[in-house]
Amino acid sequence: MKKYWFIIKTEIMSNLQYRFDVIFGFVSYFILLFILFNLWRYLYSDTSGLINGYSMAQMMWYVVMTEILWMTLGGRKFNTKICNDVKTGNITYNINKPYSYIGYSLSMHLGDILVKGVLYVLIGMLIGFIFLGHFPSLSIIEIIVVIIASILATIISIFIIMALGLISFFIEDATPFYWVYSKLILILGTIFPIEYFPTVLQKVLNFSPIYVVSYGPAKLFVDFSWDKAITIIGAQLIYLVITYGICKLIYQKGVKRISVNGG
Amino acid sequence: MLTAVRNQCKVIFLSIKYALMRELLNKTTFISNIIFMILNNSSMIVQWIVLFSIKDNFGGYTLKHVILLIGISSSLYGFAHFFFEKSFKLSETINSGKLDAYIVQPKNILLSTITSDIQVSALGDLSFGLIAYFIYGFTIRGFILYSLFTITGGIILVCISVILHSLSFWFSNADAGADTFNGMMINVSTYPDSIFKGIVKWLLFTIIPVGIANYIPVKVMVSFNPYLLLINVGVCLLFILLAFTIFYRGLKRYSSTNLMVARV
Repeated sequence: MKKYWFIIKTEIMSNLQYRFDVIFGFVSYFILLFILFNLWRYLYSDTSGLINGYSMAQMMWYVVMTEILWMTLGGRKFNTKICNDVKTGNITYNINKPYSYIGYSLSMHLGDILVKGVLYVLIGMLIGFIFLGHFPSLSIIEIIVVIIASILATIISIFIIMALGLISFFIEDATPFYWVYSKLILILGTIFPIEYFPTVLQKVLNFSPIYVVSYGPAKLFVDFSWDKAITIIGAQLIYLVITYGICKLIYQKGVKRISVNGG
Repeated sequence: MLTAVRNQCKVIFLSIKYALMRELLNKTTFISNIIFMILNNSSMIVQWIVLFSIKDNFGGYTLKHVILLIGISSSLYGFAHFFFEKSFKLSETINSGKLDAYIVQPKNILLSTITSDIQVSALGDLSFGLIAYFIYGFTIRGFILYSLFTITGGIILVCISVILHSLSFWFSNADAGADTFNGMMINVSTYPDSIFKGIVKWLLFTIIPVGIANYIPVKVMVSFNPYLLLINVGVCLLFILLAFTIFYRGLKRYSSTNLMVARV
């Protein structure tokens, strides 16, 4: 574990050097929230009640939370890195090292997003508070549960994106798989809660990764209950094992196909 | 003058042709890039179907109008990134000293630089735009307008990118600002202007010209208005002038890095 913690620390230090990228990331985050706030405000403009069980404030906090998770993740950059590692052969440098490539990539990316994540949470909460004038009512213990669910969601997302990137072992450019995944998360998990979709689709979504990586933590944040917390964290633990297993399987199959041509 | 323009067009055409041939070497990746981009963009329609199930009108926009808006946004993005992909990476070319290769050519430096690469997935955006247009409803006049707006909007997007990336001649980190601004234009462009109010709406038709490139085309295609059409074309020409002026002003500050590169 010590070596992976060292990778995380190194990445945090390296990230602090790129302040401009972080600042412009916040601008993008603010713009996205601003667009979605306008959208929801427009939708709720002629109703003071609930839409699909959500009040306007709940909907806006839901979006703040899902956007924090999504923007912190930096999925595109991570996917490109994994794809490039495979395509350029950089992955070979990791084969003879005393750590697993999956553990290394996970630690490296966690280090990369840790500082950003904390800042996104602070800014997201601030923007939400400015627009809505209050926070969702949660006790300290409930906040801790939401944080745990968010961390688990991020690790599962990293594993899913890693698995999509590792497909590059079999086809040259696996980036398109990430595009579709990111759009599915955006539409089915970020902008709308699962309750907005037809009942048949809701049943499917409840078993999909969207439930654990996006909907789950955000739902707990806006409408906490212990029953939901146990279901969501339980599902996340199952997904954690499954997604790690898939990464390992693809890596083990793929690494056998590597041919090094020198250079 | 005419011969020079013809020669420049020939160079641009050849540059794009060779870039396309290079990409076609791996046909599976080429085709999957296009198909996945069409699928990726289709999800925006799903988003709006859900939204229209809550409310049946967004300040005058029906579902068909929104599909047209998404189609135009997608098309002009595709046009810009297929023909002028390098305009979105201009900072990197400037900062790494790779402009040398274009400066020594007896052709227009800006045009040669920004047309030296293509983005294959942009063909998916162009195709999706066409599909969206056909869903909206095909007419010959509509199709001519749609094609014109794809070109003018695409050129506006390219010019904004050139202007912002050209700031690299003066400042470091201009690329991050340019990417953020371009990202913002794309994000905003798939939402109807009716959800924005006050100063934001004003900004969208001035400093952030999403209104000119995306909203005006929808308004003209739904109900023809020659004045709005002229504004769209006029602003496009203005941006071309601005992009060339700023790029060539900046170019005077460019210094080579003696980087040796082979352009394959």
